[in-house]
Amino acid sequence: MKTLLPAVAAALVAGLLSTAAFAESLVLYTSQPNEDAQATVDAFEAANPGVEVEWVREGTTKIMAKLMAEIEAGNPVADVLLIADTVTMHRLKEAGHLMPYKSPEAAAYDASLFDGEGAYYSTKMITTGIIYNASASMKPTGWQDLAKPEAKGLVTMPSPLTSGAALIHAQTLAGIDGLGWDYYKALAENGATAAGGNGGVLKAVATGEKAYGMVVDFMAIRERAKGAPVEFVFPAEGVSAVTEPVAVLKTARNPETAKKFVDFLLSEEGQQVAVKMGYIPARDGMALPAGFPARETIKVLPVDAAEAVKNSEADLKTFSGIFGTN
Amino acid sequence: MAQLILNHLTKDFGGKGADRVRPAVSDVSLALRKQGFLALLGPSGCGKTTVLRMIAGFEQPTDGSIELGERRLSDATRVLPPEKRNMAMVFQSYALWPHMTVAENVGYPLKVRGISGEAWRKRVGDALSLVKLTDFADRRPAVLSGGQRQRVALARCLVTEPDVVLLDEPLANLDQHLRKSMEETFRAFHERSGATMIYVTHDQAEAMALATDVAVMSEGKLLQVAPPAEIYARPEGRVVGGLIGRGAIVRLNLPEGGARALDWPLLGAALGEMPAGEEHAGGGPLSDVLVRPEQVHRDSEGIPMRVLSSVFAGERFALTLALPDGQSVKAYSSVPLCEGARVPSS
Amino acid sequence: MLGRPLRVMAKARSWRWLRFAFGGATEEGAERSREPTRAPLPKALTRTLRGFEVPPSPYVTEDRSPKTNSSKAGTGWRAAYFRLRGQRMSAGGEPAWLLALVFGAVFLLSALPLIRLGWAGIKGLEGGEAVRVLFEAATFAALRNTLITAAGGMAISLFVGALFAFVVALTDIRGKLALSFAFMLPMMIPPQVTALAWVEMSGPSSPLLKTLGLAPPLGSPQPLYSLAGIALLLGVQHAPLVFLAVKAGLAAAPRDGVEAARLSGASPWRVFRDIVLPLSSPGLIAGAAIAFVSGIGNFGIPAILGIPASIETLPTLIFSRFASFGSSTFGEIAVLSTLIALISAAGLLLQQRALKGRDYRLIGLAGARAAFTLGRLRIAAEALLWSILALLLVAPLLALVASSLVPAYGVPLSFDTMSLNAYGEVLFRQSMTLTALKNSLFLASAAAVGLLAVTIPAGYLLVTRRGRLASLLAILIEIPYALPGIVLAVAFILAFAAPLPLIGVSLYGTIWIILAAYFSSFLAVSLKPVMSAFLQMDPSLEEAARLAGAGFLRRMRDVLLPLLAPAAGASVILVFLIAANELTVSALLWSAGTQTLGVAIFNLDDSGSSDLASALSVLVVVMVIGLMAALEFLAKYLPEGVLPWRN
Repeated sequence: MKTLLPAVAAALVAGLLSTAAFAESLVLYTSQPNEDAQATVDAFEAANPGVEVEWVREGTTKIMAKLMAEIEAGNPVADVLLIADTVTMHRLKEAGHLMPYKSPEAAAYDASLFDGEGAYYSTKMITTGIIYNASASMKPTGWQDLAKPEAKGLVTMPSPLTSGAALIHAQTLAGIDGLGWDYYKALAENGATAAGGNGGVLKAVATGEKAYGMVVDFMAIRERAKGAPVEFVFPAEGVSAVTEPVAVLKTARNPETAKKFVDFLLSEEGQQVAVKMGYIPARDGMALPAGFPARETIKVLPVDAAEAVKNSEADLKTFSGIFGTN
Repeated sequence: MAQLILNHLTKDFGGKGADRVRPAVSDVSLALRKQGFLALLGPSGCGKTTVLRMIAGFEQPTDGSIELGERRLSDATRVLPPEKRNMAMVFQSYALWPHMTVAENVGYPLKVRGISGEAWRKRVGDALSLVKLTDFADRRPAVLSGGQRQRVALARCLVTEPDVVLLDEPLANLDQHLRKSMEETFRAFHERSGATMIYVTHDQAEAMALATDVAVMSEGKLLQVAPPAEIYARPEGRVVGGLIGRGAIVRLNLPEGGARALDWPLLGAALGEMPAGEEHAGGGPLSDVLVRPEQVHRDSEGIPMRVLSSVFAGERFALTLALPDGQSVKAYSSVPLCEGARVPSS
Repeated sequence: MLGRPLRVMAKARSWRWLRFAFGGATEEGAERSREPTRAPLPKALTRTLRGFEVPPSPYVTEDRSPKTNSSKAGTGWRAAYFRLRGQRMSAGGEPAWLLALVFGAVFLLSALPLIRLGWAGIKGLEGGEAVRVLFEAATFAALRNTLITAAGGMAISLFVGALFAFVVALTDIRGKLALSFAFMLPMMIPPQVTALAWVEMSGPSSPLLKTLGLAPPLGSPQPLYSLAGIALLLGVQHAPLVFLAVKAGLAAAPRDGVEAARLSGASPWRVFRDIVLPLSSPGLIAGAAIAFVSGIGNFGIPAILGIPASIETLPTLIFSRFASFGSSTFGEIAVLSTLIALISAAGLLLQQRALKGRDYRLIGLAGARAAFTLGRLRIAAEALLWSILALLLVAPLLALVASSLVPAYGVPLSFDTMSLNAYGEVLFRQSMTLTALKNSLFLASAAAVGLLAVTIPAGYLLVTRRGRLASLLAILIEIPYALPGIVLAVAFILAFAAPLPLIGVSLYGTIWIILAAYFSSFLAVSLKPVMSAFLQMDPSLEEAARLAGAGFLRRMRDVLLPLLAPAAGASVILVFLIAANELTVSALLWSAGTQTLGVAIFNLDDSGSSDLASALSVLVVVMVIGLMAALEFLAKYLPEGVLPWRN
């Protein structure tokens, strides 16, 4: 006992001290999967020694809620935001929460991929396609295949209430002739479930709980390469895409470091990191990761961003009405 | 040394309604002899330990006061905390701190007063040598026997030269032989320290052996305070009589206004009037008479009695004899007697 | 979690010792018994978990309790201090500031946040906006789900827990200590880990089943993502609570009552049915109430099992309300929290009513277990119990380990494919898990050690003082632990959302708000071992120190603290154990950089990285078992009743 107390005290002090000074620090809120977020941060810290990055990861909707809660409580902590879709970002811009910044790297990007005033920049292209378990009897080639009787009760998808990409995907498909909300209704009647995020869908299909799923491309292709018994297909009708934008918050406590982070993500080095993780890079002139077909063969379906912003609430309600509240 | 005075001391622990009990201590007034050895004697529940604890300062009186010389130690409104009373106590469980050695236990009161180093060692050594435990100074209490722990507790009482030493049934947990030797130790301790000692016990033999004054309590009240010889010879009342020494209390019809001590003629007359075989009936007030067994002798001119029981007690036989009217007395005999035998006695 | 068993066992201990204190073996003890010496331990403190009472030892009267010698009698000096002498502590003697300090601390930690919660709830109801949440379909569904799963869990806990308790307490099977130790594990392991482990064990995606070739076919639903699954796991998680409650009740069963029945010719079965079972009903009722109330407040299990199936219970509803922050959120969660608190209170009241009139004061020898010899049935009984344990404990843990070793989802596990990548990621690469580990260690140590500064004075006060003050103090200490963690978290959010007065700094979003909530939540846990030690301490030790002239601080330092040291150590370890794994409170209070281990596991699983979640969970389980083993190792130095798996 006599030695225990001083030892504990010493540990406490050491613990407190260790949280102390790095020269610069940065707080990142992101909806990237944990391992990818960690890899991104590691690469940034390696390229910028002396910076310590703290990051928080949750599904887009939850991370947004956290952000809003902190802003309301008057205690916003985040400096930089890296989330799935530009629609959500645009809403933030309109509410005045973003700090415009003209990054020098923007020159290497297509103008449609970043905001004119520099409020946010796309960093990748992530499409949502169909994943299926290798032992599934029916091999789907298009979205409509998922509504077939062979897929009854075997389909799962992420919920727009958790995943930004899922929301865009639903809004995209809803705007396509021949699909629309009726398609989702048909899926629901066919026993499809919608819950959680993309990670959950991947796990469910890979482990055999479900046979078919809608999931983001990099996840499926990456896991397949690791040996998971799954296949990924870009459906015939086309895929929706989100571009994982990055932005600096107006309430950032470390704005300079935040800008450095944006620059890094957009730089060739940063984009190479994305490629290594299995994402399609947004920057011009960079090769796709292994396992993807050629960029031109991927048919990306258009989505009206302004409409999407306006209809988000209504669309969420519609989706919940079809599938339940999660 | 100042005189300790208990002034109409009362302690009521309360309790409401169905839980209401009588006060634990009721109007006890006592002026202790300076440097005397007072035994507080009484049966369980008589309040003697409560009185002791009030003297120590662990309880506050509900009424009355305790004074030491000029200072008032406690009354119903204020209590001087035990830390400031310069008293010492030997607890029934000895209260030795198990994580300290014997020497540290004994020397703790000195340590608290800021005495350390050579002075400390000397005083602790003196105390330990008085109780003959010098060799055990560095041991822990757990390895000591009951008697040895007793002595350590005593030694601890010595070091600060307290005004008052309190002992709460210290010999209750020891066996017969140890008790005898500890009584010696207490006597020596009393002489050496010159403190006023207050000794709570339910064992009247102990009280008589050790004390300069015996105070008998029962049901919270103080019945009698007197030196042992006095209290043995002239106990006041049934309770005290029953507590002190051995004896039987017999109810007899005696003329009023007589002397307290009965001689044989009067006693014999009263006994002779007794109708045989029945409870005393009719007229005349009854008085309690204490008959001690050593006062009962076998004599052909005495009252005939019947032997109720005869118990072998080693050096003699303890007899219970029945008087003609059925009341019993105790007696000693050096020869065995059968039950039911008729015995002339006087 | 651990605090509950402490209180169950300590309650049995404390009442026995109280009886001894009242009626000591000596005559003088009887005299003192007339005095209301030790405050009849304020009822609140004898509550075991979640704030209810295990019946005061119904089988022992004050006069007949046998004088007991501690089984730890030995030459060690520590053994000496455990023998009880039947004296009492004297009143007074503590400085006035002590009372103010303890009350102040307890008020800040306990009363203040709850008052704030109540006020927010009332304002929310008045405001009208928040009231709507009470009438939404989602709330009704959550309420219904909560009650169903809690009731189902209670039934399962009752069955399994009582079975184990009866067999362990009443028969002569071997290996009782090992069995008790192992049976405590489901309770010590955090609920989210239990849920993860079971999920990995069942369903078509189970690596364990896949490896064994027993996996159900493709597309079969995960059976645990259902109300039944939640109820089952709640039952498993809380069965040890029932075990402890029933065992405590049985510990006082009269041996000679049973012997008398058998002499009258009753067969063992009849003895059990007619005598033991009715006499153990207070323990059964108590255990059932604990299990029910714990089930209502449990967050980890419905979070992991319910969300994928869109099943919400009240705690997860609060959580998701909070996660989708809106303008009326504070009011809404205040109202929902009050709802949970009310249901818990109702459960406890019901239990109080059920126990009224079941006062089985008997005269008889207490303290000895009625032992049925099983003869040939013994092997069968041992096999039964160990196989139940294997199913409930070993299999899920194995599944957890298996799922932490797969290289990618869906790959069957074999010695070739096995990979420690998840552990590497969790321990070395993921900064979030390292942060979480660091935070949890800091929070747990700080809470464990810091609480002693409050509980030692509080324990002293509770044992020496009597009357309503002590009762009030005891209740204030109990309530935060009795409340479901989510309610406490909400209370703390509301109390600390705004910057603190005078200092102007907001605790919200920092690690300090989590620490404050831990202080409040685990105060009762920290108090129990300390109280046990105080109660078992011979009061004359302190009185002798007083007479020696030592003031309060002096005798605290020289006499009381050294004697309390083992219990204080146990208190530190126990609080550490619970706090390190805690999820419910930190799920609402965490922010960037202040994640805890529980939150880390939950987040990892929630974001789909369940292999990482499994790896972290395995590490947590190893830590739990390690700390429990450390406690067991120290057992001979600790007062009785501190370690729940010991008798």
